[in-house]
Amino acid sequence: MDAVSGPDRARFERHLAGCAECAREIASLREATARLAAATAVAPPPALKARVVAAAAATRQRPPAEPEAAARGRRAHGGQASGRQARGWRAHGWLGRGRLALAAGAVAAAAVAAAAVLFGLSNGSMHDQLSRAQASSQQVAAVLTARDATMMTGAVKGGGTVTIVMSHARRELVFTAADLHPLPASRGYELWLIGPAGDRAVVMLPPGRHGMTGPVIAAGLRPGDHLALTAAPTGGASRPGPMMLDVVL
Amino acid sequence: MTSASPGGRPPGAPRDRGESIPPDPPGTLAAGLRLVARGDPDAFDAVYDLLAPSVFGIVRRVVRDPAQSEEVTQEVLLEVWRDAARFDPGRGSATAWVMMLAHRRAIDRVRSVQKESERERRTAAADIPFDEVAEAVESSLERERVRRCLRSLTELQRESVTLAYYGGYTYGQVASLLGVPAGTIKTRMRDALIRLRDCLGVAS
Repeated sequence: MDAVSGPDRARFERHLAGCAECAREIASLREATARLAAATAVAPPPALKARVVAAAAATRQRPPAEPEAAARGRRAHGGQASGRQARGWRAHGWLGRGRLALAAGAVAAAAVAAAAVLFGLSNGSMHDQLSRAQASSQQVAAVLTARDATMMTGAVKGGGTVTIVMSHARRELVFTAADLHPLPASRGYELWLIGPAGDRAVVMLPPGRHGMTGPVIAAGLRPGDHLALTAAPTGGASRPGPMMLDVVL
Repeated sequence: MTSASPGGRPPGAPRDRGESIPPDPPGTLAAGLRLVARGDPDAFDAVYDLLAPSVFGIVRRVVRDPAQSEEVTQEVLLEVWRDAARFDPGRGSATAWVMMLAHRRAIDRVRSVQKESERERRTAAADIPFDEVAEAVESSLERERVRRCLRSLTELQRESVTLAYYGGYTYGQVASLLGVPAGTIKTRMRDALIRLRDCLGVAS
């Protein structure tokens, strides 16, 4: 596989950094929206309080969500990632802690989506969509800024290049692709984790924009896992098909 | 008179790396929620007093009907009671969480209960200016700030926000009410929200 050239790598870095900004952008827009709500404050009827307090006394509370960090091992995962070479892939130190040019387009797009969701303009449960969007942006940011984050780049059979930023400590990676060869309408790209612990489909890649696809997160990486990219029917495949990309993690 | 921003951070002040939101000082909503999460009824009593006016205010503004407004307000506050332990401060302030809940529940109620003919009647109600209020609560400083920032928007931005946020209309409905393409509404909403955020001094 060929290594990715300098300008392409820079494009990836900008794209990923811009998406890491999305989480902060969405959070600040949520706060502004909340101010719109709070400014309409009006004293409720006094009798309401007794009803609410009584109802609460009769209502079970939900326990806290499982802390994710506890589920992740902090042990080193088969040695340090930096300096690792895998099948002709180039590993680069990730510059996440330095200043990166922001992908202004990605942040602006997030703002438009955030506005739509915050105001419930579409159908369906938009606030849940926003929460999910924010959660995934934060997850991307967390991997990119992890102490042991390492970037790998490489070429896809059939066209396109891929960039992965992985954190062994978090057992997660962020996957982005550029210029993937378009597939027919009934098919899409699917990301798989293949390994001794079993093969599992990660996600169908979302449609690309301006030639960039993703980022998507793959979590729960296990020792010996390979990351594979296949073409699959749009609903996903039950087993990985021929691999257009196979990376040892 | 200086305006205090939540968490004590002046607008535009740089954030520490890795920090996503300003910490909530003790005695505020987030501190109360931590106690509510443990089932403390006195804490819930206090949290009710802090939240009920804001929740009821936005619900009533969207839902309009007084009896249903009370029902939805109760639903929201019960959800706060039920899920207090799941509130994640890393995702934003406690106020933002509760206001999102309140707004969502209000919109859900409007869309599920009201029939199309009632929606058309509400079109006239959407013309009611933001100033309309039955009994105002303290925090008039905040109301003035929001009012001023809404006034700083262009007319199209302000109308889009009013119809979408307070009116609970969909893109298509806002677009057709304002006689503007849906794509333009999307951009106006984004611009309005960013301007409001910057005007209100929300750190970003």
